[in-house]
Amino acid sequence: MTFWEVFLQQLFNGLLIGAFYGLVAIGYSMVYGIIKLLNFAHGDIYMTGAFTGLIMLGFISAGIANPWLAIVISLVLSMVLVGLFGVAIQRVAYRPMLKAPRLSILITALAVSMIIYNAVLLLTQGQARPFRTGLTGESFYLGALRLTETRVVLLVAALVLMFLLHMFITRTMYGKAMRAIALDRDTCQLMGINVYKIIAVTFFVGSSLAAAAGMFAGVYYGTVHFFMGFLIGLKAFTAAVIGGIGIIPGAMLGGLLLGLLESFATQIPGVGTVWKDVFSFVFLILFLIFKPTGILGRIESERM
Amino acid sequence: MFEIKKSWVLILVLVLFTIAMIGCDQDTAAPTDEPVDEMEYEGDVLVGIMLPVTGAYSENGIDMQNAVLLAVEEINAAGGVLGHRIITTVGDDECDPAKATAAASKLVSEEVVAVVGGYCSGATLPTLNIYGDAGVPMVVAAANATSLVEENPGWTFMINSTGDMQAENAIVWFEMQGVETIGLIDDGSAFATDLKMLTKSQWEAKGKEVLTDDTVTVGEQDFSALVTSIIQASPDGIYWTAYHAEGALIVRQLREAGYEGVIIVADGTSAPAFIELAGEYAEGVFCTAPPFADLNPAAADFVENYRAKFNTNPGAYSGLTYDATYLLVDAMERAGSFDGSAIRDALAATDGFQGISGEVMFTDRNTLGRSNFVILVVQDGSWVFAE
Repeated sequence: MTFWEVFLQQLFNGLLIGAFYGLVAIGYSMVYGIIKLLNFAHGDIYMTGAFTGLIMLGFISAGIANPWLAIVISLVLSMVLVGLFGVAIQRVAYRPMLKAPRLSILITALAVSMIIYNAVLLLTQGQARPFRTGLTGESFYLGALRLTETRVVLLVAALVLMFLLHMFITRTMYGKAMRAIALDRDTCQLMGINVYKIIAVTFFVGSSLAAAAGMFAGVYYGTVHFFMGFLIGLKAFTAAVIGGIGIIPGAMLGGLLLGLLESFATQIPGVGTVWKDVFSFVFLILFLIFKPTGILGRIESERM
Repeated sequence: MFEIKKSWVLILVLVLFTIAMIGCDQDTAAPTDEPVDEMEYEGDVLVGIMLPVTGAYSENGIDMQNAVLLAVEEINAAGGVLGHRIITTVGDDECDPAKATAAASKLVSEEVVAVVGGYCSGATLPTLNIYGDAGVPMVVAAANATSLVEENPGWTFMINSTGDMQAENAIVWFEMQGVETIGLIDDGSAFATDLKMLTKSQWEAKGKEVLTDDTVTVGEQDFSALVTSIIQASPDGIYWTAYHAEGALIVRQLREAGYEGVIIVADGTSAPAFIELAGEYAEGVFCTAPPFADLNPAAADFVENYRAKFNTNPGAYSGLTYDATYLLVDAMERAGSFDGSAIRDALAATDGFQGISGEVMFTDRNTLGRSNFVILVVQDGSWVFAE
């Protein structure tokens, strides 16, 4: 492979993993924006999404022969179910804590993460499960770039979801309400906005995007396990911070940037796969020192 | 408002408590109280089992635990050891060094006479001195990193071949396949890093080149950047020295990206789950593995009894663990007592113990006298001996 072929291939690798990071980071960012909570359970929601998708696919692919159609239907079902699961978590664990000190709700989030993680561990006996889709994974060349149908479709799907979310936030009443609550919750309540309902909607959207990313990961990697949410949770959190936590386009941008950083870091002699995570986290630290608000963050900007 | 808050907190506490209870229940895995009729024993002897029976490597852990339980049941049915009934207690190490030290301390405080188990080298390593200080001999059935040999305070006996023997097997196989350059990948765990370094130094000692040397993060799923950099260097063969969870993903992504060279995986990836997870991409992958019980004619009875009792096939280390249990009992009988140092001396004096996985004798460093490793290959979705 020539330099440019490697460059293009790593660019594509980075964009795809970056899009996954971005989808998960959006959930972190939205929740932080609206109730100033770092939702540590978000990585576990991603994992739950992957397992829910696997179960749905098991039912649906029995009746539908076309693998892509079956995937799309189970994706939608899984997004709705996991979205509702996110709302339920919010109702049970976070809403009673909204008036409590910030630290209490943060600890609650850690507890929720452990409960989900351990519940899935018990249910699956800690074993990785194959994610069979019926896709063949055949590859083709686009110029010098070696691609599979699955990878291209997943990248496009992730970008489409991000675009839809952007439209939702900027063009709908719900989106407007979310941005308003991020600015000033108490005033919103005085203006007659049902704050709790909007918070629930936020959790629904954030959780379904994480579920979508989880399902994509299952389709792409062919394996799901209870541990899969941990590392991507950390990475997505990093992405959200790089982009400016609380700012949705920042989360997307941060995700893509982190994905690209990681994939190009493996090409740097002396960094390689061994130090690539160190490399990206050093980058994060430098970012926090020189631009603590993230790429798109300004001190007084609206957090949404 | 306050009422509601309290009730939710109460629910949360209840949920946490239930989960904690379930967790505890798993940890203490009841002593084997098999109904043995009309058998008179002089007393009980408590043997500890230290394995990852939960967590990502629980599949292997449970396969090994089953083998111990099967052996114990057979021994008790035949009159026990020195007239005593064997009962077991489990310390769950979860393949995690921190959990393993807790598990080892638990076993020691329960006053076990000896311990059998040890799957992950990284988790087994910090427990060696805990058992050593307490004077509890241990037979390690699977874990085999060189660091275990170096840190062994003298109370541990390893019946799996060590890392350098496995590295040698891999190299011989690479050479037979006409491989000139190799790439190595590990996951940063004690065992995998050790095996990688041993393979690297042995390969380079032959004047041949290691083109790529990588370490992946456990729990990661995307290895596309690694795969691209490997294909760029295009080594003739690749040796993955760690476990099946990441192994399946790496093999799949390598093949999907068009890598056509020889892939060998180490014994940590020999679990049948590897083939299930990697699907058709596993075909033709080689493995340096301990002798699988269900491929071994000498173990036919064991395989049959195991299937009858647990309704599943034995795992990669079930045979060795079964041997480890019998070896321990054999040593107790030769020692004529349940005293820790007497058992240790008897274990050290083992010469020509005939297990289902081969003969056992120990070097002066308590490692197996000669390699028992074989080369397997995935053919039509299962492991078979490679020709």
